[in-house]
Amino acid sequence: MANETTPVRAGAVNVPFGHVIGNEKWKGSQIAQGMQGKVKLILEDGLGIVDFHLSNRTCILYISEADLVAGNAFKRRLVRFRNASSLQGIVIVEKTQISDQYFPAVQKFVVLELGMALLPVTNQEEAAQVIIQLVQEQAKDRACNPFLKKASQLLETSVFQTVQQIPGVGKTKALLLLEKFGSIHQLCNASIQELEQIVGRAVAQQIHTFVTQTR
Amino acid sequence: TRLPLGSLEKPAPLCILADSREISSGLNVISALRAVHGIKVQVCSLGSCDYIVSNRLAVERRCQTELLKSTHRSKVVQRVQQLKSKFDRICVIIEKERARAGEAQKGFHRTKHYDGLLSALLRAGIRVLFSSCQEETAKLLKELALVERRKNAAILVPAEVQGPSQDALHFYLSMPCVSYVMALALCHCFRSVKEAANSSPGELAARTQVSQQKAEEVYHYIHYGFDKQMLPERIT
Repeated sequence: MANETTPVRAGAVNVPFGHVIGNEKWKGSQIAQGMQGKVKLILEDGLGIVDFHLSNRTCILYISEADLVAGNAFKRRLVRFRNASSLQGIVIVEKTQISDQYFPAVQKFVVLELGMALLPVTNQEEAAQVIIQLVQEQAKDRACNPFLKKASQLLETSVFQTVQQIPGVGKTKALLLLEKFGSIHQLCNASIQELEQIVGRAVAQQIHTFVTQTR
Repeated sequence: TRLPLGSLEKPAPLCILADSREISSGLNVISALRAVHGIKVQVCSLGSCDYIVSNRLAVERRCQTELLKSTHRSKVVQRVQQLKSKFDRICVIIEKERARAGEAQKGFHRTKHYDGLLSALLRAGIRVLFSSCQEETAKLLKELALVERRKNAAILVPAEVQGPSQDALHFYLSMPCVSYVMALALCHCFRSVKEAANSSPGELAARTQVSQQKAEEVYHYIHYGFDKQMLPERIT
């Protein structure tokens, strides 16, 4: 059987936009039915131990309640996948009343030991819902992902705040100091004499002490 | 034959920093970490995250029901974005809410929004773990801290600073790219603020045990040329 010799199909799997390439064994399943109308599912043989390809980089390995109860075969399957491919594997696991007791150990193995992602579902119908969302996320531009966006904050505001953390320095003095020295680095290297010209003797001493105080 | 010295030494107990708000919202997490797992939990005002388990990993604890509805979306997004600017690695633990006394466990109705959020988190490389209760969350935190220790990222600096160093701590904490644990390291591993400010990215990375990229961000911030014109008017 292809399963035994080729754990993962060789070469990149090109998945057309909004499509999922699924292992033939899912024909007629609830997952396949659940995806109907939402994403196009193409079933193929020769996918090896992979259940679904979502893109040329991401694929799904499905672990059923029965797999969990049956023992450790699923672990060997995941390790084979990890050794055979560099694809990002998302493990979908059936967490039901029966398989609940196995879940913590499975999570530890998949996420903490193998470093793969894991999503629990209670049945195939839920799995289909998750896969639809995963496919839609893959189809989006990376910039649309709110967690990938850089928080755009002007550094000026932060730098201004940082300088105000120095004892004796408030808004007015912080602004004068930054106008004169230009950066935190320059400010840290200013001499007492230079500081005195901006903020007066007492605060100049405070700033100098703050910057040079050894621990 | 003699064993190498290191193998006989007991490793220092694992240290986890917890945000002070967790005393009210995650008391069982903190007490289980201490009593069951023997972990040194230091409660600090972390502000940006719930737990810090290593020099680079922040953990955010979120209740599952909160993630089902889109009403809390912007809060979650904002929080994670903030973490991204401070930490190299982020983990979100999704915890089931405890059923209140006399109340039947509510059924969990998966929503499109919930799956969409999970998909976005995974794509952004954020780790997601699931927990059924606070005690399980504690166990996951311990496991994460153990993995991080194996990768030489354990928190080794003292979790407290004393006297005038507290001013320095707040100075470092105001930098948007500096996490609480990095601020602690900057306080403890450099003799003065000036010494830290005059360090190269390589030195910053080596002493505070953060990534080169993180160290470069901090270096860039310290050297950033301030332009008054760019300061929003309402601030001054």
